Amino acid sequence: MSKPLPLFTRAFVDSWRATLGWAAGLAAAIFIYLPLYPSIGASPEMQGLMDSFPPEMIKALNYDQITSGPGYTQATMFGLIGFLLMTIASVAWGAAAVGGDEESGQLELTLAHGVTRTQVVLERALAILARVLLLVALVFVLIRLLTDSAQLNIRPENLFGASVLFAGLAMLSGSTALFAGAVTGRKTYGLAAGAGVGVLGYVFNAVGRQSTDVDWLLNLSPYSWAYGNNPVANGADWAAAGWLWGISAVLVALSAVALSRRDVGT
Amino acid sequence: MPPAPGNTASQAITAESLTKKFGRREVLHGVSFGIEKGSVFGVIGPNGAGKTTVMRCLLDIIRPTSGASTVLGENPRTAGPALRRRVGYLPGELFLEGRITGRRLLSHYADISGPVRPGRVDALAERLGLDLDRHTRKLSKGNKQKLGLVQAFMHDPELLVLDEPTSGLDPLVQQEFLAMVREAQANGQTVFLSSHMLSEVQQAADTVAILRDGRIITVATVDSLREGAVRHVRLTAAGISASDAGALLAGVPGIGHLEVLPAGDGVELSATLGGAIQPLLRVLATLQLTDLVLQEPDLEESVLELYGTIRGNGGNGNGGTNGAGRRRRRGHGA
Repeated sequence: MSKPLPLFTRAFVDSWRATLGWAAGLAAAIFIYLPLYPSIGASPEMQGLMDSFPPEMIKALNYDQITSGPGYTQATMFGLIGFLLMTIASVAWGAAAVGGDEESGQLELTLAHGVTRTQVVLERALAILARVLLLVALVFVLIRLLTDSAQLNIRPENLFGASVLFAGLAMLSGSTALFAGAVTGRKTYGLAAGAGVGVLGYVFNAVGRQSTDVDWLLNLSPYSWAYGNNPVANGADWAAAGWLWGISAVLVALSAVALSRRDVGT
Repeated sequence: MPPAPGNTASQAITAESLTKKFGRREVLHGVSFGIEKGSVFGVIGPNGAGKTTVMRCLLDIIRPTSGASTVLGENPRTAGPALRRRVGYLPGELFLEGRITGRRLLSHYADISGPVRPGRVDALAERLGLDLDRHTRKLSKGNKQKLGLVQAFMHDPELLVLDEPTSGLDPLVQQEFLAMVREAQANGQTVFLSSHMLSEVQQAADTVAILRDGRIITVATVDSLREGAVRHVRLTAAGISASDAGALLAGVPGIGHLEVLPAGDGVELSATLGGAIQPLLRVLATLQLTDLVLQEPDLEESVLELYGTIRGNGGNGNGGTNGAGRRRRRGHGA
């Protein structure tokens, strides 16, 4: 008879090529950036270079602590290249889960079978979650492996906390994309909404850090909630993690409600 | 007045005054019909008539603006997945993308529909000549359609809802499809199918509904459509003048498009016959026929004429479609 979670299985298993691709990209980024820390971040020349840059730029790029191992990992991996890759992956999966599937005409046939719309949304959201967790677990493991050889000096519990925030940040963009797709039935709107959360979060953080006059922008930036206190160095702000994961869960629930209440494929 | 949906217990599908608006545009204007369990019911109509919308409403993919329907005795809006497991659906436009083989895709759909007998998928694929081990996105339109048909038939559902099932299929496969429909019917399954071509439906269906511009124009059995259908008559006769022959034939009920030409010492005559044959034969028996062709009724033409009638004079005209014994006609004057 039928297997458990058939829609989750299809979404998760059938996208293994893409998941593998993202994993390779993240691994490449880690292996390129982190082993360079002893020769770049920790070198006296780097400190001198940093001193010569405009402070606004340093703040915008979150490079203020780049000369410490945790600060370097935070700024390069979690704050920049990793954030970029995970956001793109999660937004692409979120936008495709309902909006993309509906736009391509395939959702209609799935819904004509023995499934509920809520089940479709929840199982596909679960498939996004599983892939995000898989990639973040890979990032965690690889950074742990490089911690000694690259002299990063990161405490495991802080790395864990930063990983939870990293995953939560990706899920927030992904669930926003899922929600916009479920409301509109259009992949493009899902992509725009998900990318919007990621990009605006980053920009609000970069601008908000410039002066106390605009630091209210930080309150609007999920990026700042997650990374404002430099979790790789100082440990996670668990309240922020709660917000990121909580809002993501609410967006998934709202996606299920939105899809259940409207016509599909029109 | 809409035809009464009748006794729900004996009906696989009932629809009562279904209307559907997309924004301000109403695409269904009170569609009512009933489909007896175990029958094959065809709906035909030009593109955009609302066939797909009706089917999507029955599958709860879209929700009617007003009106009520039942599918296998239940309300599709509230019955949930258990009902849809008992239904096989082929969408009008089938999109199958992705790097997945037909076999894996069907196994996925089997997981979310009713139980599929072992070997059933392979048997259906073999009948239709479908290679299950190719990636779906590399399949031609016809082969995708076959995959869609296997998907709809594989769990032997009580009800099959097939939107343009023969589209893209070559004639041999169409014949195989018709055989599958007949087997389903012999099996006690109900089939609801649509087409924009009557010729595709008439071979499969017992009853046909004609839908145009979101309204059912008529519901008739294929037999009664055939009775009411127009035949072409061509003959040559000797020893009679064109005017006499014309007058004689014009007196036969149901004769139209009469053309008489003198030929030698007799006439060549062509006409259409929209009624019973017997009165014509009585008249013909009095003539010295040298040739006679009485064609099989062309249902396509009679249906087109029906569309034309409705379109031409706004709804209530009855001209050109005499003798439709059991036809229920619903006038919808503008």
